[in-house]
Amino acid sequence: MSFSLATPATPDEAFEFLAQDPEATAILAGGTDLLLDLEEGLVRPRTVVSLRRLPWREIRWNGPRLTIGSLAPLADLEADAGLRRRLPSLAKAIHAVGSLALRHRATLGGNLGRASPASDLIPLLLVLDARLSLVRRGDRRELRLDEFIVGSRRTALAAGELIESVTIPAPLPSEYLWQRVRLANDISQVGVAVARGTTTSAWRIALGGVTPRSVRLPSAEKLLGPGLPAPLAMELAAQEAAQRAPFTTDKRATEAYRRRLVYVLVKRAVAAVAASADALPETPSPSRTAKKSVPAKARSTSAR
Amino acid sequence: MHGLRGDPAGGRIARDVEAVTRRDAAAKLRGTAEFGTDLEAPGMVWGALVGSTVAHGRLRRLDLEPARRLPGVVAVVGPSELAGLLPSGKRDAERPVFPESILRYRHEPVAAVAARTLAEARAAARAVRVEVDPLPVVSEIEDVFPEWPGEEGPRSPHVIAHVRANHGDVDGGFARAEFVHREVYRTNGVHQVALEPHACLAEVNDTTWKVTTSTQTPFGVREDTAEILGLKEDQLVVDGSWVGGGFGGKAAAFLEPYALVLARACRKPVRLALTYREEFELGRTTLPSIVWLDTAVRGGKMTARRVRLLLDAGASLPGRDFATGYAIAFLLGPYEVPAFELEGYALRTNKPPFGPHRAPLAPQTAFIGESHIDSIARRLGRDPIDFRLAHVWSEGSTTPLGQKVGPFGAAEALRRAGRLAALWRKGLKPHQGVGVGVGFWGTGVGAGGEALLRLTADDLSVLQVEHDIGNGSVVVGLPAVAERVLGLPSGTVRVLTADTASAPYDSGVFGSRTVAALGQAVEKAAQQIGTTLAKRMGVRAKVRLEVERGQFFAVAGAKRVAVRELLTPDERRGGGLVVRDRHYGKPGTIDDARVREGTFYAYHDFAASVHLAQVEVDRETGAVRVMRATAFPDVGTILDPEMVRSQVEGAVVMGLGTALSEETLWGPDGRMLNPGLLDYRIPTLGDVPPIEVDPVEGFAGAGPFGLKGLGEPPIIPVPAAVANAVADATGARVTELPLTAERVARALKLL
Amino acid sequence: MTDREFACTVNGTKVARRDVPDDERLLDTLRWRLGRKGTKEGCRTGDCGACTVLVGGRPTLACLTLSHEVAGESVVTVEGLHDDPVGRRVQEAFERESALQCGYCTPGFLVALTGAIKSHPHGAGERALLEAIGGNLCRCTGYVAIRRAVASLGTSRP
Repeated sequence: MSFSLATPATPDEAFEFLAQDPEATAILAGGTDLLLDLEEGLVRPRTVVSLRRLPWREIRWNGPRLTIGSLAPLADLEADAGLRRRLPSLAKAIHAVGSLALRHRATLGGNLGRASPASDLIPLLLVLDARLSLVRRGDRRELRLDEFIVGSRRTALAAGELIESVTIPAPLPSEYLWQRVRLANDISQVGVAVARGTTTSAWRIALGGVTPRSVRLPSAEKLLGPGLPAPLAMELAAQEAAQRAPFTTDKRATEAYRRRLVYVLVKRAVAAVAASADALPETPSPSRTAKKSVPAKARSTSAR
Repeated sequence: MHGLRGDPAGGRIARDVEAVTRRDAAAKLRGTAEFGTDLEAPGMVWGALVGSTVAHGRLRRLDLEPARRLPGVVAVVGPSELAGLLPSGKRDAERPVFPESILRYRHEPVAAVAARTLAEARAAARAVRVEVDPLPVVSEIEDVFPEWPGEEGPRSPHVIAHVRANHGDVDGGFARAEFVHREVYRTNGVHQVALEPHACLAEVNDTTWKVTTSTQTPFGVREDTAEILGLKEDQLVVDGSWVGGGFGGKAAAFLEPYALVLARACRKPVRLALTYREEFELGRTTLPSIVWLDTAVRGGKMTARRVRLLLDAGASLPGRDFATGYAIAFLLGPYEVPAFELEGYALRTNKPPFGPHRAPLAPQTAFIGESHIDSIARRLGRDPIDFRLAHVWSEGSTTPLGQKVGPFGAAEALRRAGRLAALWRKGLKPHQGVGVGVGFWGTGVGAGGEALLRLTADDLSVLQVEHDIGNGSVVVGLPAVAERVLGLPSGTVRVLTADTASAPYDSGVFGSRTVAALGQAVEKAAQQIGTTLAKRMGVRAKVRLEVERGQFFAVAGAKRVAVRELLTPDERRGGGLVVRDRHYGKPGTIDDARVREGTFYAYHDFAASVHLAQVEVDRETGAVRVMRATAFPDVGTILDPEMVRSQVEGAVVMGLGTALSEETLWGPDGRMLNPGLLDYRIPTLGDVPPIEVDPVEGFAGAGPFGLKGLGEPPIIPVPAAVANAVADATGARVTELPLTAERVARALKLL
Repeated sequence: MTDREFACTVNGTKVARRDVPDDERLLDTLRWRLGRKGTKEGCRTGDCGACTVLVGGRPTLACLTLSHEVAGESVVTVEGLHDDPVGRRVQEAFERESALQCGYCTPGFLVALTGAIKSHPHGAGERALLEAIGGNLCRCTGYVAIRRAVASLGTSRP
């Protein structure tokens, strides 16, 4: 039941704690998920290493490239004026998580590290081609998000390793739509993220609320073609997505209903991105892109 | 006086709040109000319950030893320990503290432990070995009756209650019908979700068993607990704390017997509280139902109806056939139908016992009856409100069970709703719709209670056993009755609370009865004060009171005397002028010739409740958004406008949860699948539409000044109004509560 | 478990003690060791907001916070609001609009709103304030009176 808590102030201290008893150590970022498991006795670590005092909270732009410290609270990200302007779809997806009170505590790194199949952030970060910077003592590597998440609540994070930051190469025109019962404090039955690459014009679609992990849907993406899709292509892509999605029935929705939702939300998200991308040049400057990228849609699109 | 506490308010926060609205505001806003979960005593230890590991089984062995050996443990109690702890008095065989053999639902308490810390208590509870031979689990209605049963129905061992009633020429009605409208409806379970989990603190010494608890009914807990433990009622003292929401979930004994047994075992104060997960897993809640409705229609009127009800009663149903009869009678609605036949079963399943929830089963039955009448009106091409007006009760109507209806505001409320609906319809966009729902309620003015008022030179107070549960009936309503009788400004009368050993009897804060019923006792006691003072002043005129610089004065015409002068020397020295009065209501009568089997409820006072809702439906996903709602409650008269508004607003939103998002889910093994506030979804702030309240006055109820109880009626028609608005928007009828997006999508044939 | 010191300030008062286990929640430390029971225990899973406190000015769910994680920080609970001009303004708005009934969720609403106002130095609009309490559950009021109370605060400057 009981564990000892380590609160390292520097990454090196953290690595030291992590190395001591790696098999029985849990990593605590925001704790909005881990503390539930601890309370229920689902995990019984001897040591919990809190990352709260580590410095990785920065939001940094380098040209089009956005790097977010893994310990930035989600509430700080959604409040960041630059992020809201240049990548509104991410601000919107973050807003979908839990409640503001939870987002004050929850971190981006924690959300990815917990790798919940119902995460509202993973689908969008997949279509935005996010990469994770993973560090351990004297070692650093970069992994694509789809390489990092290997299953339901399973990641490629090695023992002793921490997520330092998350990088998005460029803010693409993108949209995240979801359906749930309540506005706040709820888990999405289905989440649909769509982005359109500005250089290759390739469409990307990813889903949340699937089993065992969020996935891209290449076969549906292909049906949208390289340019702006015709209505028929959108329809076929939505049907393909609904058919391919690895859904199951659980207490939040049946498989059949989830397929229906994917069909509807893929159509809507593609249409929203297409409508905004319509006016875009192929290789816009970052600031142009930001202004024109799909703004957070009105509440009704989240189809409560 | 023993156990007496002063006015918990002790002042106001804001200087500019003139009308003292709530006497509990300051304590609750500053965080000093002590709720059940806050109770603590020197030397206190922590209790925890050991639950059944299966939903149905035979207890083979209960090994308490592993728990006893753990650090910090001070008491471990199972069925075998009870004999040594409890008096030899007769204990209620139907409600054993711990079951000796058959376990009826998952987590049913089979033992209890107490330890120095909560963590130690939980560890001890986990250490108890519960060995069970599993028995087949009946998890839902269909496990008992896959379809409506024939003559063999009453012989099923799962039948807890079977009720039947009829009147008029039903067969003839159906034979002569132009058409018969047949529908089947289902409703699912809902939980009260009072935000404060159940909690109490028990202390036992050589003479007294005492429990302080968060309850709507201190005297009810005393009676229940005494029966369960085999105590004499006088041995047991029940005190109340502030109640963090009740809604029916805190209207009977629950944790108190376990806490007392533990306190008796270890001779220390024991705190016992549920986690929120346990709130769900052990909660006494509303459970599912299936209803068949057949209505014969001729000449544009409903001429006969058959109603059949199967009710999931869980492990037990308090009130049994009484409760079943109550539920089924609501399915006739507040409408005149010349011939009817009712039949209903309450079925035992392996879920926790059924329990009351704000207007028990009425929102569900109103959803069913009101969806049904709406779809008949649509089939006839009639306006749904006009069609209701052609059948709805008014004063003097006879209910299906033969009771006479008193003043009843339904028709007036419906006319107002009709005018507003016409306005709303002008602005409707595609996929939007307007729906009406009608509910009615017999508020609990029959349940008895006594009032004690005390007047001194500088104080007038009401002494009360219950704390306010939030609805304001105790901290606003009761003193307002005394204030109005005696002509005092709002906020002058104080409310004092005391335990069951000191306060006058009252049956509790439930059934929309507190102001309507106990208020009558307060009203009479206040009148007594007036007549006593008049006599002492030697006047015939009505006496009112005034307060000046904290001193009370009696005024009759031009005569004005300080209360100090009117008190006897004994009263001045002692406890002031103390008056008591009582109200024990007489139930109405039903026509017994109409009852075939079981018990049907005679209502005390008829209150109507009519709501209008506007929704927008996403035609592609089935998601429903309520855009606005207006309530037309039949209130009799208004004692305090703020109370009326806040009760109705809160009830509407609770009803929206029942309508759209709240549902307890159970697995075939009797396990609750969504035992938490993430997946049992009560509305959040952003989900709530604008809500207007337009009270209908002038149809006097039995309460003081003609008011009617208001706690429950406004929740009743909410799911009905939403469902009818969805049908209006889409043409599709959803026949199961709640109206989740998925159910609407199915009704729209989207999957 | 260690016998490390738990040190922080609670409502401006320094607190230091050695009996707080590593695995204890801030909610339990506040309620059962420090006697600050105004902070309420509801769901204990972060879904109701009744236990909201301010840690370093940031609204924080005390049920999902380990006590030792707030070492050195300033913690404000509902009991501390009355001594704070913003906190008192929020309390007054709730009283004026009868935005409380049973009162169990009330501390969480008051603290979250106070924190939101104080974290917007240029003034928090109604929308930002409603967002700040969007996850706080209330079962009695239907939120309608709470929205009136928030509206009555106007654009709130700390």
